[in-house]
Amino acid sequence: MERTASEPLLTCQGVDKYFGALAAVRDMTFDVFPGEALGIGGPNGAVKTTLFDVISGLNPATAGSITFDGRTITRATPDRTCQLGMARTFQLNAGFDTLSARENTLIAAYFGRHNRLVPGMRFDRETQRLADEAMEFVGLDEVAHEATQTLPVYHRKLLMVAGALATQPKMLLMDEPVGGLNPQEIDDVMALVRRLKERGLTIMLIEHVMRFLVRLSDRVLIMHHGEKIFEGSASGLVYDKTVVDVYLGEGSSRRLRHLLEDQPSSDEGASGAP
Amino acid sequence: MFETGPNWRRDVAFGAVLIAVLIAIPFLGPSRYFIGQLTLFFIWATVVSQWNLVFGVAGIFSLAQMAIFAFGGFATGMMGLYLGISLWFTLVLAGVGSILFSIIIGLACLRLRGPYVALLTLAIAQVMYLLIITDTACFYMEGVTCRNFTGGTRGLAKFGDFGFRELLGRREYLKGDYYLSLFLLVLATVFSFAIIRSPLGFAFRALRDNPEYGVSRGLSRFKYQLLVFAMSAFFTGLAGGVFAGHFRVIGANVLSLPLLLFLISMMVVGGLGRAWGPILGAALVMLADEGMKDFVEIRNMGYGALIVAIVVLLPQGAAGGLEQVWDWGRRQVLALRGGADRPAAGRAGEGRRE
Ligand SMILES: Nc1ncnc2c1ncn2[C@@H]1O[C@H](COP(=O)(O)OP(=O)(O)OP(=O)(O)O)[C@@H](O)[C@H]1O
Ligand SMILES: [Mg+2]
Repeated sequence: MERTASEPLLTCQGVDKYFGALAAVRDMTFDVFPGEALGIGGPNGAVKTTLFDVISGLNPATAGSITFDGRTITRATPDRTCQLGMARTFQLNAGFDTLSARENTLIAAYFGRHNRLVPGMRFDRETQRLADEAMEFVGLDEVAHEATQTLPVYHRKLLMVAGALATQPKMLLMDEPVGGLNPQEIDDVMALVRRLKERGLTIMLIEHVMRFLVRLSDRVLIMHHGEKIFEGSASGLVYDKTVVDVYLGEGSSRRLRHLLEDQPSSDEGASGAP
Repeated sequence: MFETGPNWRRDVAFGAVLIAVLIAIPFLGPSRYFIGQLTLFFIWATVVSQWNLVFGVAGIFSLAQMAIFAFGGFATGMMGLYLGISLWFTLVLAGVGSILFSIIIGLACLRLRGPYVALLTLAIAQVMYLLIITDTACFYMEGVTCRNFTGGTRGLAKFGDFGFRELLGRREYLKGDYYLSLFLLVLATVFSFAIIRSPLGFAFRALRDNPEYGVSRGLSRFKYQLLVFAMSAFFTGLAGGVFAGHFRVIGANVLSLPLLLFLISMMVVGGLGRAWGPILGAALVMLADEGMKDFVEIRNMGYGALIVAIVVLLPQGAAGGLEQVWDWGRRQVLALRGGADRPAAGRAGEGRRE
C-alpha cells in the first residue's frame, strides 16, 4: 500500500508496564505503518496480550508514550481508543453472550465509531447498515439472529472480527485469531485477513501458528519476557539465532524455512509454541 | 433463550387494555381495602420496574433501591413539613434529589463488582435506617412533645398529603391516590420499556455480559454505570414521595430487610431484566401474599415455596415463561397459515428484531 509515503499510524516509544514491582512490558519501541500487517510472536507468557492491553488502554502503560493517528493515547481509555479507530479482538472468546450475534455487532457499530453523548432511541439506519455489512463480510449473516452463547468457537472468533469491523477501524489488533481452530478454519481466517489487508486496513496480529503469522505479516516482531528480541522480515526470522533458541527451536525453524521458500506448500505449518 | 426483541404492537395493545381496566376499576364499586392494595401495587411495581434496570438489565447487584425510595419519601415529607410547601412541589424536588443521591451511590460502587456492590449498598441502607431510628434529638417542640428531625422511631408525619381529601372528600380521596400512583406506574413503565429497547438498554446489557469486551467496543463503564443509577432513581424517588403522601407518614420501616426481600422477590418472580417482569412479578407476589394472609403459620413458608418454584421451574421468571408460550403460539399460527415456513420463520416474519 502506501507504506513508503507515510508517517507511522501507531508509534510505541519506550513503553513500560509494571504490575506492582513486576515488569511486564519492558522498553517497547516500534512503529506500525498504514496498510501494513505486523505479526507478533513469542512464547507463552511473553507478554504479547498484555502489550495489546497497554496499547488499547485496557491496562495503560506505566511509562513511555503511545501515539495513534497523530494523537497521544498513552492514557486513553479503551472506549476512547476504539472510537479513535483502534479495534481489537481477544484471545479468549469475548462477546455479549445473552444477546444475538447481530446485536453484538450493532452495539459495536453504534458505540464504537464515535462518542454518543446522548444515545438515541433506536439504532439508526447507518448503524444497521454497517453492522449487517460487517456480518456479511466475515460470513456470519446466516447466524445473525442466533444467541451468541450458542455459537461454535469459529463463529465466535469471526463475531469478534465483525464487531471490530463495525466500529470502522483504521487499525485492527488481533489476538490469536486462529487459536483452537482446525486447519480448514485457519485457512478461511487467513483468507479473511487477506481481504482485510486488501481493504487497506492496518493490522497487528498475535499468533502462535507460525504458518499463519509468516504468511500474513509484512514484518514480524518477536517478544520474550516482555522485551522485543526481533523485529524484521518474516524470512529473516528463521536465521535469527536468538529467535530460534528461545522460541522456534531447530525443528520448527527448519520447517518454517521450507514453508517460506516454498510458499504454496501445504505443509502443516510450524507451530512455534513449545 | 434470550430476549429476542420487541413486539411493540403486542406490548402497546396489552398495555392499553391493562390501563383501561385499571382506570375502570374504581367505578365498579370495589372495597376501600382493594383500592388501597392496588395503590400499593402500583407503588411497588414502579420501584421494581426501575430497580430492574440496574439489577436485571445492567446486572449491577445494587440493593440501594429502597434507600432511594426512602430518600424520595423523606425528602418529600421533610420539605413539606419544614418548608411548608405543597407536596406536589416537594415531590418533584425529591425526585430530582433522588437522582443525585443515586449517582453518589453509583460513584461509590464504581470500583466494586458483584456481591461487593450488594454489600456496600445494603450497608448504605442500614446506615440510613440507623440514623433515623437513633434520631432522638429535639428538632422542634410541638406543644410539650419533642419532635425529631427525621421523625425517629415514630416516623415522620404531619406534612400533609396531595390534597385529595379536600378535593374529593373523606370517602373518595383514596381514588385520587389510586390514579396518581397508577399514572406514576404508567410513566415509569413506559420509561423502562423505552430504555430497555433503546441502544442504551443494549449498552447496559453489553456491559453486564462482558465489561472488558464492552469497553473495547466503545462503551464507557463509568458513564453507563452512573447513567443507569441516575435513570433508575427518578421514578423510585417519586414512588417514595407518593407513598409518603398516600399514607401521610413515612418511617424507617421502608428500609427494613423483609420489605427489601419482598421487592427483590417480585423482580425474580417476574423475570430479571425483562420488560414485563416487574409488573407481572409484583402482581404475582402480592397475590400470593394476599392469598396466604389468613394462614399466618404457613405464610412465610408458602411465600418461600413460590419463589423456589419460580426459580427452579422458570429461571427466566414469569415474563420469560410467557414470552416462550407467546413465541410457540405464534409459530403454530404461522405454520397453520404459511405451511412450509422454516423453523426460524416466526423470527423472520416479525421483521426487525432488535
Ligand atoms: N493484571 C496483571 N497483574 C499481574 N500480572 C499480570 C497481569 N496481567 C498479565 N500478567 C502477567 O503478565 C504475563 C504475560 O501475560 P500475557 O497474557 O500478556 O502473555 P502472552 O504472551 O499473551 O501469552 P500467551 O501466548 O499464553 O497468550 C503473565 O505471566 C501474567 O502473569
Ligand atoms: Mg496472550
